Amino acid sequence: MTRVLVRSVALEKTFGEGELATPVLKGISVEVAAGELVLLMGPSGSGKTTLISVLAGLLRPTAGHVELCGAPISDLHEADVTRVRRRHLGFVFQSYNLFPALTALDNIAEVLKLKGLAARDARARATRALTDVGLGDRLHHRPGQLSGGQKQRVAIARALAGDPALILGDEVTAALDTHTALHVLAILRAQVNAERGILLVTHDKRLEQFADRVIEIEDGQISRVTPGGARTGAAA
Amino acid sequence: MLRIALQSLAHDRGKLVASIAGVAFAATLVFAQVGLYAGFLQSSSAVIRHVGGDVWVMARGTVVVDNGERLSAGSREIAAAHPCVERVRGLVLSFQALRKPNGSLEAVQIVGFEPSPKQVLPWAMARGLPQDLHPPMRVAVDRLDVEKLAIDGDPIGAELGIGAESVRVAAVTDGIRAFTLAPYVFAELATARRLTLLGSDQAFYWVLDLARPECASEVVASVDRHPDLVARRTDDFREMTETYWVAGSGAGAALGFSALLGLVVGVVIVGQTLYAVTKEHLRELATLKAIGASPAEIVSFVGWQAAFLALVGGGLGLGMAFGVRNLAVDAGLTIVLSGPVLALGSAAVLLMCAVASVWSVRAVLALEAAEVFR
Repeated sequence: MTRVLVRSVALEKTFGEGELATPVLKGISVEVAAGELVLLMGPSGSGKTTLISVLAGLLRPTAGHVELCGAPISDLHEADVTRVRRRHLGFVFQSYNLFPALTALDNIAEVLKLKGLAARDARARATRALTDVGLGDRLHHRPGQLSGGQKQRVAIARALAGDPALILGDEVTAALDTHTALHVLAILRAQVNAERGILLVTHDKRLEQFADRVIEIEDGQISRVTPGGARTGAAA
Repeated sequence: MLRIALQSLAHDRGKLVASIAGVAFAATLVFAQVGLYAGFLQSSSAVIRHVGGDVWVMARGTVVVDNGERLSAGSREIAAAHPCVERVRGLVLSFQALRKPNGSLEAVQIVGFEPSPKQVLPWAMARGLPQDLHPPMRVAVDRLDVEKLAIDGDPIGAELGIGAESVRVAAVTDGIRAFTLAPYVFAELATARRLTLLGSDQAFYWVLDLARPECASEVVASVDRHPDLVARRTDDFREMTETYWVAGSGAGAALGFSALLGLVVGVVIVGQTLYAVTKEHLRELATLKAIGASPAEIVSFVGWQAAFLALVGGGLGLGMAFGVRNLAVDAGLTIVLSGPVLALGSAAVLLMCAVASVWSVRAVLALEAAEVFR
C-alpha cells in the first residue's frame, strides 16, 4: 500500500481580518504519496506558495487539517511541528539559499549537524550527497564560485543529505537555462522511490514530463489534476 | 552554528575589521576609565593603605586623611591606653609651602612616618633606600615631581626650603603622587615634626597596631569617649577618604561618563555590524528555521558573532589599555588594571556586545520560516 506523506483536508487559509480578510486557500484537499513527483502549478497569486507553506507546517491553516508523515501538524505546537520538519522534510528553493561564506560541503554538513549528526558523520554524508549530484569535485567551492545549476545541485544535495521522506521545492528551475533545468529535474526525479516523494511548485511546463501528477490551482482551489509525463510515458 | 556564524562574519573582511576596531576602541576606553577610577581611589588613600595599622586616631571632625589636624600633647597616651594596643605610631600629614631653588613657592604635603618592621615607607623607591631618610632633615621626593619642584640636575643632594627649615633630598620615590597633586615630601617623623612645627610628642595621626585585630571595636569605643579625638578602623577611614575625594570631587562621575560614552560607541558599531550581517543572511536563516532549526539555534548565529567580537575586540582593547597605562605613568596618572578592574571591564565589554546584539536577535526571532517561499 502506498504511504501518504502529506495530506490536507478542506484546507483554508485567510490572511488579515474583518474587511481586510483575504481568503487565499478555499477548501483544498490534496495528498502526495511516497514514490510520486507532484507538480503544483497555477498562475501567480493562485495560492501555490501559501499551500506549500501550510503543507510544510510553516504557516498555520485557518481551517482544515494537515497531516505530515503521519503527524497532525495543524494540531501540534510549534516546537513539535519543527521537530517533524527537521525529521521528515527537505527543501529546495529558487534562489538556493546557501550561506555564501561556507563551502558547498559546509553548507550541507552544518545543516546535518543542526539535525543532530556528529561533525564527522555530517561531513561524510555531505560528501556523499554532493558526489551523488555530480559535485564531488566542488566540495570546497563557495557558492560564489559555482554556476546557477551547480548551486541548485548543492541545494538539492542539502535537501537529500538529511534523508527526508518528502522534498518540497519552490520554482527550483526558474533561474536555470533549459539544459540545466532538465538536468536538475532528472536528478530530483531519480530521488523518488518507495520511501520518498517530491512536491514542486512551478510555472515551468518543461517539468511536466518528470511528474507523476500535475495539480493545477486557481483562485485558491484545485482546478484540475492531470497525470504527468512520467505516468503517460512522455518523459524525455 | 558556530562555524556558520563565524564564517559569515569573516566573509566581509572590511566589516569585520571595523567591528573589531570598534570593540577594541570601546574596550580600551572602558578599561582605561575604570582603571583610572581605581587609580584615583588608590592614590587618594595610598598613605592610609601603606601606613597600615588597625585603628587610626585623629582629631574629631576629620573626614579625609589629607585634612587632619595636629593632635594635642597627651593624645598618644589616650590612644595607647587600651591594653589591646600593641604599638602606637605617629604620622604627620600636612601641607606646607616649599621654597624651590628658583625662589618660588610650591605647596607640598609632608608625610612624616615612624619606620616600622611591618611597613616599608616610602613604598616605592626609584633611587636610594628608606634608611637614607634616617639622618635628620633628609627627605624623599618623587621622580615625577622633580621638574615641578624646579630641581635641576641630580635630585639626590638637592637642597629645598620648607618653612624656615632647609632639607636635603636623600632618596627619590617612584611614581608616588598625591590625589591633591601637591607633591609628597617623605621624611621620618622627627624631621617631619620640625618641618611642621610640632612638638616631640605630637602628630596628626596615631596609628595603632593591635595585639588582636578583633578588639578594634573596643579600642575605637575607648578613644571615642575623649571629646577631642575620634578613632576609626583603617578600612573605614580609607573608604571615607576615597569617597570624599573621588565621589565628592565629581571625578568618579566624569570617568563613569567617559566609560559610558565608550560603551555607547561600541554598542553602535557592534550593533550595526551584527545587524548588517544578520540582514544579509535572513533568507539563509529562514531556510535553517524551515529545515528545523530551533529559535535558540537561530539566535546563536548572532550570539556567537557577538561573543567573537567581544573576545577578540575586548582582548585587543585590553592590550591597548596596558599600553595606555604605561603612557599614563609618564603623565603622572595612575591606571590600575587589577583583577577586579579587568573583571569589571570585561563584564562591561560583554554587556556591550550583548546589548548590541539585541536588534539582530529581535530580527531573527521575528523571522518567519515561510519567508523562504516568498
